[in-house]
Amino acid sequence: MKRTTRGALLVALSSTVALTAAACGGGSDNGGTGGGSTAGSTGGSTAGSTGAQGPTSSEKGGTLYYLTQRNAEHLDPQRTYIGRDIGNEARMVYRTLTTFPVASGEASTKVVPDLATDTGTSSNGAKTWKFTIKDGVKWQDGSPITCKDFQYGISRTFATDVITGGPNYAIQFLDIPTAKDGSSVYKGPYAKDSKGQALFDKAVQCTGNTITFHLKKAVADFNSALYLPAFAPYKKSQDQGDKSNFDVFSSGPYKLQGKWNSGGTSTFVRNPNWDPKTDKVRHALPDKIVFTEGLTNEIIAQRLIADNGNDKYAVSDRSVPPSFQAQIAGNPKAKERATNPASPFVDYLVTNFGSKTMQNPKVREALAVSTDKGAYITAQGGPTMGTPATSMINPNTPGYKKYNAFGAPDNGDPAKAKQLLKEAGVSTPVKINYIYSGGTPTSDKAAAALKEGWEKAGFKVSLQPETQNYYTIIQNPAKQSTWDVAWGGWGQDWPGAATVIPPLWDSRVNLTKSSNAQDYGQYKSDKVNKAIDAAYKLTDPDKQNAAWGDIDEMIQKDGGYVPLSVEKFFLIHGSGVTNWIDNPAFADYPDLGSLGIQQ
Amino acid sequence: MLYYIIRRVIAAVIMLVVISMATFALFYAMPSDPARLTCGKTCTPASIKANRHYLGLDKPITTQYADFVSGLFTGREYPDDPAFAKANPDKVTHCPAPCLGYSPQRTSLVSTYISERWPVSISIALGAFAIWITFGVGFGIIAALTRGRWPDRLLTSSSLFVFSFPTFFLGLLIYSYLSIKYQFFPAPNYVSIFDSPVGWAKGLVMAWIVLAAVYVASYIRLTRAYMLETMGEDYLRTARAKGATERSVVFRHTLRAALTPVVTVAGLDLGIVLAGTVIMEQVFGYQGLGRAAIDAVTQSDLPMIVPIVLITAALIVFANLVVDILYGVIDPRVRIG
Repeated sequence: MKRTTRGALLVALSSTVALTAAACGGGSDNGGTGGGSTAGSTGGSTAGSTGAQGPTSSEKGGTLYYLTQRNAEHLDPQRTYIGRDIGNEARMVYRTLTTFPVASGEASTKVVPDLATDTGTSSNGAKTWKFTIKDGVKWQDGSPITCKDFQYGISRTFATDVITGGPNYAIQFLDIPTAKDGSSVYKGPYAKDSKGQALFDKAVQCTGNTITFHLKKAVADFNSALYLPAFAPYKKSQDQGDKSNFDVFSSGPYKLQGKWNSGGTSTFVRNPNWDPKTDKVRHALPDKIVFTEGLTNEIIAQRLIADNGNDKYAVSDRSVPPSFQAQIAGNPKAKERATNPASPFVDYLVTNFGSKTMQNPKVREALAVSTDKGAYITAQGGPTMGTPATSMINPNTPGYKKYNAFGAPDNGDPAKAKQLLKEAGVSTPVKINYIYSGGTPTSDKAAAALKEGWEKAGFKVSLQPETQNYYTIIQNPAKQSTWDVAWGGWGQDWPGAATVIPPLWDSRVNLTKSSNAQDYGQYKSDKVNKAIDAAYKLTDPDKQNAAWGDIDEMIQKDGGYVPLSVEKFFLIHGSGVTNWIDNPAFADYPDLGSLGIQQ
Repeated sequence: MLYYIIRRVIAAVIMLVVISMATFALFYAMPSDPARLTCGKTCTPASIKANRHYLGLDKPITTQYADFVSGLFTGREYPDDPAFAKANPDKVTHCPAPCLGYSPQRTSLVSTYISERWPVSISIALGAFAIWITFGVGFGIIAALTRGRWPDRLLTSSSLFVFSFPTFFLGLLIYSYLSIKYQFFPAPNYVSIFDSPVGWAKGLVMAWIVLAAVYVASYIRLTRAYMLETMGEDYLRTARAKGATERSVVFRHTLRAALTPVVTVAGLDLGIVLAGTVIMEQVFGYQGLGRAAIDAVTQSDLPMIVPIVLITAALIVFANLVVDILYGVIDPRVRIG
């Protein structure tokens, strides 16, 4: 999933009060911060969490506080696509057919059943998937969760005019024809089009408690995709369309008390109709979970470091700003509550195949070789904020392949790059325009660091920081001639490289006359597209992931992109919080299925 | 006076109309596409088109503006799509007059959203205003009456010291030390005054102190200066000669005259603060109108931007009007024709 940045402008404050915003997650690595585990299994509601750090306990009760800066944009399951919100909703209120366990490390990436009795059965070369819904699973009003609720929920994704913002995997995968403009002929349940509805009902069939999905193409890890709230059931009688954006009708262990107070404080309490016997994943230890939105990152960090009052029982999804990290390093009590896992995001550079300069393969190679990843990371805040990336696939995502495309060191090799520019037959300095998502001092510093490295090699770099129009520009084919290199950020949607390679470089799903979609640099390779098709046909997820790793190498060696850094989180939680884990499947954000309170 | 007020109100309405048109026009001059911003990360040209239609952004700007204005008087339905409304009457949002619009990014009526936020900004502004007027004018009087002696020097120098700190810095300082570290104040949190008057005051007290501290400094100096200027007037010597008490001379004759310019500034400042508690909201994490304005601008949320700009402008215009009227009340020499 795309890593978004949303600069917040505050007149007269700009440089001092950081108004950062950002980020959406997917899943990532635990950064080797596991340890101290006392127990447990990857499920069950009595044991501690696998890979837990710090105190563990199976004690129920208490209130967990969740402090954050960024407001939830959607609580509607079909509209949720921010990694943090996917995790929180999945653990508290929206159960799905499958999910990922309360665990860290590799164990967290193994899909497990949730509302389904097992992780599904595939047939027809992974183009048909069948699941049986558990008996006794209920909505918060006590009514049973039925196959029809799944059908209805998934159908909402197709109403792209009303149900906006969510992932469109249902549209991509389900065997429903597409119209000339590339959209699905089925327009969702609000269109009241019986023809379209019949096509959908054929693609998603209900027979009693069994739900069968018919897909357009083989999707070996379709059962992993189903953990997204976008595939959650939705009770038709609760649907108010756009008006339901902040409504919660729970199938999980908690339910929303009153209304969601966007930007303020909202509380989740126990859902009496959640039966733990049907749920072997969530521990659901705290009695209440209280969210407070709209705090600055600096204040959150200070409160969690101070560890006073209710903040002892608080967690946050926000990374501690670099300026506060030294305080933690010098405070042993705070240090033992801090973790520094790799985030799911990889920062990378997009080379623009629509630019004459970048069409020369030797120039692309020179750019890659001269890129100073070390300086980029230093500008971002140093080693606690990232590590040099060598691939677009995160090192902890299945499919990661270790290689160095051009053999350049992390800090770049300007001499080699100079030689490459000579071989390219271009006159130096080679003028390039670097467009990036700017608006913050950090992003400007990082761009300046890259510029310095490139200019040592013989490039002449102009910097183009953009804020809210960034993606509008780089996705617009009409603007393709205005830049040569662009910044990008991406993370997996579930543990699997299929959510990285095709969304970024399958030119057939990205490039149209009016949009580049995620293939910002208009990379178009028949060889890569064929390899993508071949990978999709591999029904063994391990084999398929290995194929994605090979394709990643193919694209990078073609100069399709330059990996920059694997971003890291620096999180801290209160001393009264138990069972802390870094769960890469949920992007290493606080795992609300695991956490408890020390009474 | 009545004629003057009517004239000012008409002028204010015309100004607000011009501002709303200019905001619409400026927004459309921006290169960003609200339909693109709303439809999320998986936009396709087809979904952007569908979204643009659903939001009514495929209509000409003049039609959109006319719809906005008519909604103020007749109300509106969202989405403004008869086909959708016919098929899904339960999913249509009715916006009663005066309808300020519907924000697809907040999935809320603008009036609902603003009504949840304005009490926060008003609470911050009015609480701080009460503190700064009380202490600013009070200390200003003391400084004037003790001119040249230590209370005067202490007050004027300390006010200058506080004045030199930016609001956000003071806010962060107080929050970090008095709330987080020493827990002298509770964590800032807005609670409605109707739910818990004590909770309301506790949750806002830091913002009041910080905002008031900066204004107190200028009001001490302002009040002191006008008091001293007035104290040199001949009519005060006359009052004393006629046997008026010192209390009467200070509060009835001096302060009343000295307050006229202070009230002018106070009225304007209150208008500005009402429209601009954004720094306090940002530092202390309140969700007021200021934050709403920033979010609306950074997210190109036009339906939210236009009413917020209008409300902000209206507050300042209103504050000016009140000041002009108060002139006549405070100073009988002032008569507005």
